[in-house]
Amino acid sequence: MMRKSPMKQENRQTISGADFKEYFQPENLQKALEIKAEYKEELKVAAGSTDLLVANYEKLHEIEYWLDLVKLDELKEIKVKDNKLHIGAMVTHLDLMDSDLIKDKLPVLAAAAEDVGSPQIRSRGTIGGNICTSSPAGDLLAPLLSYEASFKLQTEAGERIVKAEDFFTGPKRNLMEADELLTEIIIPMTENKREGAWIKVGRRKALVISTLTLAVVMEFEGEKIVKAGVAMGSVAPTPVRLKGIEAVMIDQTLKDLDYKALGKEVKSSINPIDDLRGTKEYREDVAVDVMVRALNEIERKVSS
Amino acid sequence: MQITITVNGAKRELEVTPYTRLLDLLREDLGLTGVKEGCGKGECGACTVIMNGELTASCLVPAPQADQAEIVTVEGLGTKDDLHPIQESFVEAGAVQCGYCIPGMVLASKRLLDEKPKPTEKEVRYGLSGNICRCTGYAKIIDAVMLAADKLAVEGSDSND
Repeated sequence: MMRKSPMKQENRQTISGADFKEYFQPENLQKALEIKAEYKEELKVAAGSTDLLVANYEKLHEIEYWLDLVKLDELKEIKVKDNKLHIGAMVTHLDLMDSDLIKDKLPVLAAAAEDVGSPQIRSRGTIGGNICTSSPAGDLLAPLLSYEASFKLQTEAGERIVKAEDFFTGPKRNLMEADELLTEIIIPMTENKREGAWIKVGRRKALVISTLTLAVVMEFEGEKIVKAGVAMGSVAPTPVRLKGIEAVMIDQTLKDLDYKALGKEVKSSINPIDDLRGTKEYREDVAVDVMVRALNEIERKVSS
Repeated sequence: MQITITVNGAKRELEVTPYTRLLDLLREDLGLTGVKEGCGKGECGACTVIMNGELTASCLVPAPQADQAEIVTVEGLGTKDDLHPIQESFVEAGAVQCGYCIPGMVLASKRLLDEKPKPTEKEVRYGLSGNICRCTGYAKIIDAVMLAADKLAVEGSDSND
């Protein structure tokens, strides 16, 4: 995020010459997939553009081929089908936090969406963009891992469904092929009681890239935990799901769990780095505390 | 390429490139210099406009993405001789120092008060959380928004809508 050279518009004007060649703004998905198949990695894909324009600050004129998905209304729906929630890739953070369906069924995702950037960013940034940018600090990613989301990747010829936990391969890297577009996020629903907690740690409340995030989702049959999803952001090269922690929780009740011990186990199962948002040591210590806080929060919600 | 946008109620057809940001389009092509460029990276809120009813960082919108959009800038709220009640309140509360952040602050206040005519202080802070001010320390800006809420309530309705 550091700016190397001073301002901006004057600079941009003088470097023309390398001009854009095509700006595609298809109005249906099939057309978008055809364009993606033809131009592949030459294309810059624009969803909400909130990352794209920051990443290409001062060199927008160097982008030759644009694929703008903003007119694909078919990717802006949130719906229930076959007991699963289907969220279109162009649904914005604002849509997520305002959707009654998301607030009711996926409150941890709604809470994370509410913590993204600022009102100005949430109105434009999309869930699909957050996923495809694949930053380890992407705020929606830990919740998606906790809810066992899958992503639908489409090409002109077909589609495949990839689990969220398999999707991220490194910082800003994922397993998408050059002819694929992410079109839908699919999240299973459940008859069981499902509770969760979302914690974002940062230096301010707004407009901050996360120092650390934690998403915990638990399914209960009576008091027994039958399923658990625990995931963190900004503690490893990718957002990570902590399956070891989940395994400890399964078939237990909340009363059986030693929160502090689980926190310590979280600390030993992550691999954070030092950066300008926090040191490795800080992140490890905070990881213990946020795990305890999350479990306390779930306990409160379950008992109320 | 050509886009059609409605800016402060007037429909415009404009020739743009993808590397024209909505910010550049408004400032350079339309002369609406109330839209400020601060960080150019969506972090400061100085370039805030209301786009299709929502706060938007105009520095992060490639102009083609604004096609068919409805945009409100600070110029659409009031004039020098006929200030919008929110602008009046900013003046009366002494909420303006250098002024650079103020167009964005005023628009964020407008968006907030449209949705919540009687906001709590916490809601005001949340509503303005995307706008940074380096002079005032925010206290008087918050006061101004509260004052504006009272003024608008007395008026009964927003005369500029």
